[in-house]
Amino acid sequence: MAAPARVLLTELPKGHEFPAIDLQVTQDEIAAYADAVGDDNEIYASVGLAPPLAIAARALGALLELMELPAGTLHTGQELTCRAAVPIGARLRLTGRIAQRSERAGLIVSGIELAITIEGDDAPAIFAKSTIMSPTKGSALPS
Amino acid sequence: MTAPSVESVVRTITQERIGRYAEASGDHNPIHVDEAFAQATPFGGTIAHGMLVLAAISEMMTAAFGAAWLSGGRLRIRFRAPARPGDTVTASAQAQSAREDGAFRYAVECQNQAGEVLISGTAEVVAGD
Repeated sequence: MAAPARVLLTELPKGHEFPAIDLQVTQDEIAAYADAVGDDNEIYASVGLAPPLAIAARALGALLELMELPAGTLHTGQELTCRAAVPIGARLRLTGRIAQRSERAGLIVSGIELAITIEGDDAPAIFAKSTIMSPTKGSALPS
Repeated sequence: MTAPSVESVVRTITQERIGRYAEASGDHNPIHVDEAFAQATPFGGTIAHGMLVLAAISEMMTAAFGAAWLSGGRLRIRFRAPARPGDTVTASAQAQSAREDGAFRYAVECQNQAGEVLISGTAEVVAGD
């Protein structure tokens, strides 16, 4: 089946909700993440809990399969709130929405809110908000 | 209550590390991984993913607070400047006053080898027993 067409982030209105995405972050994926960032804390393996930023990064990566970022887009801010630890290998459900959208001086600022819930739980384990700055068509980011 | 000290974390950014992070996260934005594309941008070359640099702060807090950070940590930061291949990034935390609910609060930042602030913000955590 063909992959769904991706929409441009800057064309999404405030309030847009992405379709829910089911995720499972495996031990191998956590190991690859930890290796990439150079995080050798042993706690991830010893207690079987994932680094929360690994989950948030994977969630953002999953959203990037649904939307396209204009060339020159920058990540300008990040919030992360952990309400529960995420066991490695847990089945997760990601929901996301455009919580903020403003435009000025040739730039569009988007706030993407994410909630990551462990299967079987009522409340999200992780909340995240990413602030993204993109150029409008025909403009470029300031140097 | 006095917030415990948090040890700094030092990380070297390389293009190879950026590439591995792109694979691990699924973020293949060309500003990070396409040298020809990145040279034509105002940055003049590739830059690290902000979340890759931010990982040093989470690593630092995990080392200090363990599972308490994984289950109850909170970060709020701004990306101030990019990290580039060849940069040495130091993540550090400065304790602030404890909150009334018992959470420890830190001013956190990442600087490069020139002392330029790449990330600044706050981290909060309720320490376990």
